Amino acid sequence: METDWAAEHLQTIRTLMERSAVYRRALAPIMVWTGLLGIIFGIVGWNLDLRLGGFVEFWSVAAMVAIIGSFLLVRRQALRDSEPFWSPPTRRIAQALLPPLFIGGFINAMIAYFVAKEDKSSCLLVIILWLWLYGCAAFSAGFFVPRGMKLFGWVFIFAGCAVALLLASDSSLLKIPPCLLMASTFGILHLAYGIYLYVTEKRKNAA
Amino acid sequence: MNPEAFLQLDRVIHEKGRLAIMSMLAASPELSFTELRDALSMTDGNLTTHIRTLQEAGYVTVAKSYQNKRPLTTVSLTTQGRKAFTAYVDLLEQIVQQTKKIK
Repeated sequence: METDWAAEHLQTIRTLMERSAVYRRALAPIMVWTGLLGIIFGIVGWNLDLRLGGFVEFWSVAAMVAIIGSFLLVRRQALRDSEPFWSPPTRRIAQALLPPLFIGGFINAMIAYFVAKEDKSSCLLVIILWLWLYGCAAFSAGFFVPRGMKLFGWVFIFAGCAVALLLASDSSLLKIPPCLLMASTFGILHLAYGIYLYVTEKRKNAA
Repeated sequence: MNPEAFLQLDRVIHEKGRLAIMSMLAASPELSFTELRDALSMTDGNLTTHIRTLQEAGYVTVAKSYQNKRPLTTVSLTTQGRKAFTAYVDLLEQIVQQTKKIK
């Protein structure tokens, strides 16, 4: 009985400590990095005039560069704060991001190997899917990040819906090249969120 | 079963609400009053009372500042509080181990 009581107390303590250990790495530099990368890749891709296969491969490379860069930024912050890089909150964030990002990567691989690579119009469908999946990933990560990440996820989901509606209504707005659409969604949204985080972080520090 | 371990348990931390506050603070550099209140589903009054008790014991510090022109109250563990919490958890583990040996 007494053991049960003490063990239950320890379990409660463990649970509360895990819940409290939210992800505290600064997200602003990661968002700005990803945003700038999205814009640069968007402009480069636009000049390359890519078809579906090349488009998917090109943006897969962009995603890899963004992920590697983000990991390096997180690692640098962890080293600076003398904290472990692969901490429980980092693990939880990675676990939350993994399912939608895995599906995105799987779809990319399917398209790259099995779908007609010369198709250009399907690029928009892929962008819609990426926006939705990325939005879901960001929303899931938002459970372990304190500031605005869930809303950021919703913005991506709504952006995907907006592009889908424009596509369904055959709007002239979608005459925009797919790579520029990527730059104006993934690129601009990340950059805007990064700037917002920088500004609010500065205000917090100044208070 | 050696009852000494029970007697050594810190009465300030041992209370359910305060133990929850200490546990949350032990895993985080600081937490806002709102974060604590929401995570632990406590009322403002209840949380204030517990924080005051912990503050009087020297286990937590309370800092008041402004964020986006709104007042922000943050709570963090003191060195003394962290030591007391570690000692409390060690004692609990000791109790569990002792009883396991008896069984």
